[in-house]
Amino acid sequence: MITYVVRRVLLMVPTLLVIATLTFVLIRLAPGGPFQSEKDIPAKAKAELLARYGLDRPLHEQYASFLRNVVRLDFGPSYKYPDRQVRDIILQGFSVSAELGGWALLLALLVGVPLGTLAAVRQNQTADFAAMTLALAGVSVPSFVLGPVFVLAFALTLLWLPAALWTGPASRILPVLALSASYVAYIARLTRAGMLEVLRQDYIRTARAKGLAERDVIVKHAMKLGLLPVVSYLGPAAARIIMGSIVIEQIFAIPGLGRYLVVGAVNRDYTLVMGTVLFYASFLLVLNLLVDLAYGWLDPRVELA
Amino acid sequence: MRRVKRALSCLLLFACAASCAPGHANSPDVNGRRYFGSLAAPPGQVLRFNLGSEPELRDPSVMSGQPDGRFARIVFEGLTNSDPRTLEPRPGQAYRWETGADGLVYTFHLRPGLSWSDGTPLTSRDFAWSWRRALAPATASRNASLLYAIRGAEDYNKGVLADSSRLGLATPDDSTFVVTLAQPTAYFLFLTTYYTFLPVPRHVVERWGALWTLPQHLVGNGPFRWTYWRQNDRYEFAPSERYWDRAHVRLEKIVGYTVDDLSTATNLYKSGALDWNPSNYIPSQFLPYLRGYADFRVYPSQATYFYCVNCTRAPFTDPWVRRALNLAIDREAISRDLLKGSRAAWGRITPAGYPGYAGPRPVAFDPARARECLARAGFPGGKGFPRVSILFNTSEDHRRIGEAIQAMWKRELGIDVELTNQEWGSYMQSTVTLHYDVARRTWTGDYLDPNTFLQLLVSGDGNNRTGWSNARYDALVREAAGTLDPARRFASLAEAESLALDQSPYLPIYLYSTSELVKPWVRGIYPTALDVHPLTYVWIDHEWRQHEPLAGSPVRP
Repeated sequence: MITYVVRRVLLMVPTLLVIATLTFVLIRLAPGGPFQSEKDIPAKAKAELLARYGLDRPLHEQYASFLRNVVRLDFGPSYKYPDRQVRDIILQGFSVSAELGGWALLLALLVGVPLGTLAAVRQNQTADFAAMTLALAGVSVPSFVLGPVFVLAFALTLLWLPAALWTGPASRILPVLALSASYVAYIARLTRAGMLEVLRQDYIRTARAKGLAERDVIVKHAMKLGLLPVVSYLGPAAARIIMGSIVIEQIFAIPGLGRYLVVGAVNRDYTLVMGTVLFYASFLLVLNLLVDLAYGWLDPRVELA
Repeated sequence: MRRVKRALSCLLLFACAASCAPGHANSPDVNGRRYFGSLAAPPGQVLRFNLGSEPELRDPSVMSGQPDGRFARIVFEGLTNSDPRTLEPRPGQAYRWETGADGLVYTFHLRPGLSWSDGTPLTSRDFAWSWRRALAPATASRNASLLYAIRGAEDYNKGVLADSSRLGLATPDDSTFVVTLAQPTAYFLFLTTYYTFLPVPRHVVERWGALWTLPQHLVGNGPFRWTYWRQNDRYEFAPSERYWDRAHVRLEKIVGYTVDDLSTATNLYKSGALDWNPSNYIPSQFLPYLRGYADFRVYPSQATYFYCVNCTRAPFTDPWVRRALNLAIDREAISRDLLKGSRAAWGRITPAGYPGYAGPRPVAFDPARARECLARAGFPGGKGFPRVSILFNTSEDHRRIGEAIQAMWKRELGIDVELTNQEWGSYMQSTVTLHYDVARRTWTGDYLDPNTFLQLLVSGDGNNRTGWSNARYDALVREAAGTLDPARRFASLAEAESLALDQSPYLPIYLYSTSELVKPWVRGIYPTALDVHPLTYVWIDHEWRQHEPLAGSPVRP
């Protein structure tokens, strides 16, 4: 088990190196640079800026120094916001995104799993249809529609909740709901599918034949295996939801991390792009590892070696 | 199944209620006027407004950009400050000044007892040091060219002159600051209200370097102190006890949210979380609907939307081709049909509203003459005209305008034009390096003088971006710069603009306007030509229902 984890962690190094290199090449291939603006900057000033950030050196030297900085987990200052370190920008944004995403994911699990289980147990009955209609709606309605509709209804018409901004517990409700809707729906559908498959298996029949209460059959025996699809979905889903959603952040003016991935690329803010991409990549790799570990725990047939 | 149906009908009902309600419950009438959204003023003297996108640079000497400038004007104050209605320069850190007879020497006298917000005394040397720093090539200031009016400034900034002591800046004593200009500059006093001319605290800058603009270090000399910051969320300010006019500062707190989404900003205003949503942070689809509200106002701004033509590429090297393109644009149709009247059709390079400057006759839509011009260039009926393209950065509005002009040029001139869409960075690169045929552009004035636009087309100016060069034009702009008499100066500039319109390196299309929402209890924020709004003397009128309905008179073009 420990050797497995160590090997997986070591394997992350080449993966991250490839990602770092690709990002470095791609962002440099994009036309333009970080210091262009609608207003012209004198040539001397531009040269000064390029020298200050080492952008006047040959590309392979820049690449080498970039890799050295990555190892030290120091990406340097953002080009767009020169008094702010990329590390600080990421940490500040991440703390907000992690909270928003954490609540949304928790909600998605708390609603999605019972909903999916209910649908599976009552397959082809009213509850199943209702749950799956709801899930279909949740998957189909994108958050950029759901967000504004929530704002219109609960903030501007009923005046119950704030329209946007990240202040106080009340401000969390609408963005968490809007962000989690599609995850609730997806998790419900995955749970249903997983549970349906498991419920037909022999060991469930055995459990029932033993005279176990249906509740115990479902919760203690079926769910452990029935949730496997959900668990494998959870890795990438958690990475996506916790790394921030630019759509929800825009609609609710939330100071999260999602926007930097997009804004950094548009502004050719090289350090910010590299920092966010590598942070995201590492986060995703770690979560995938956790998912695989959870698999081993949930399904004894899976062997980690 | 019945249960599902019931649930669905409930949902439908709710959605309908949500979409119909705002007209009633949320748009109360006061004194016969309708207001947009909540009318509950927060207690106390607090102003909550939208600062727009997150400021990039908080160092006034280096910054460029509206949110950055707005931050700087709250925390710092220059020799002069701006009148909130007219933006005319008024005594700021300097309480009086004299101008030499030749218009070259300005002597500023600072108020006695000035200090930075940390108590360090502020002297004329702070100004001299700050201006020198803004000009130093190592500072890489984006707006350093605004200081070029000062003797030696341009050479120093471009690295030609190495000795900063030869700049026209002198400090005979702690309270006197003498500025010598390179040539008479009619709008120099106006420039001193600009953020590039603000003083920065030498003792803090030298101690912290690039990090001096972090909230824990930054020290200002303006009416407010910066007290709180969360990136992409908000800036908070409190009155500075050391400001010379503290007695007249009434706001106890300013909160500037950094909301860059137009719908979100407007929602926040409507829900009552913002008292002021300035600078066009309103979705364009809302504009026709908002016109009936007393707290909405729109006024012309100093920015124009135009196409620039790459004069180094055939067939655009021929002025007859450029003229034909210019005359074949039906600006009125674009303004009326595409923009629904939200922007005024504009046939000049300079915007309206420069006191004393009438400008030349605007270019008007004249298809017959456009065809003649194209024929004279050797392309009668568009025959033999190469396939060219219009470049724009990604935006639905730019595309729609591009399509309209594409159709106009096809219809009137018989030429085929493609549309090329590039994202911002690539588009910038293409226009700067002249890798385009025709490209969409916007320019916003820096100060209230036509020179801020006409300077663009001077040969070799970094913002020209057309390769157009005309000796007569350069001479006229230079001549105007050296003239003190306003009538003669404006005559030269008008002649230059007329020449540029005829030569058509730029094809003007429309004039921008500024739309904003201001709650009726906010006093002291007025429509201004540059969308600059000093907040020093702004206050919250809790008895607004008894007083006049709106501060300032809305101007509707």
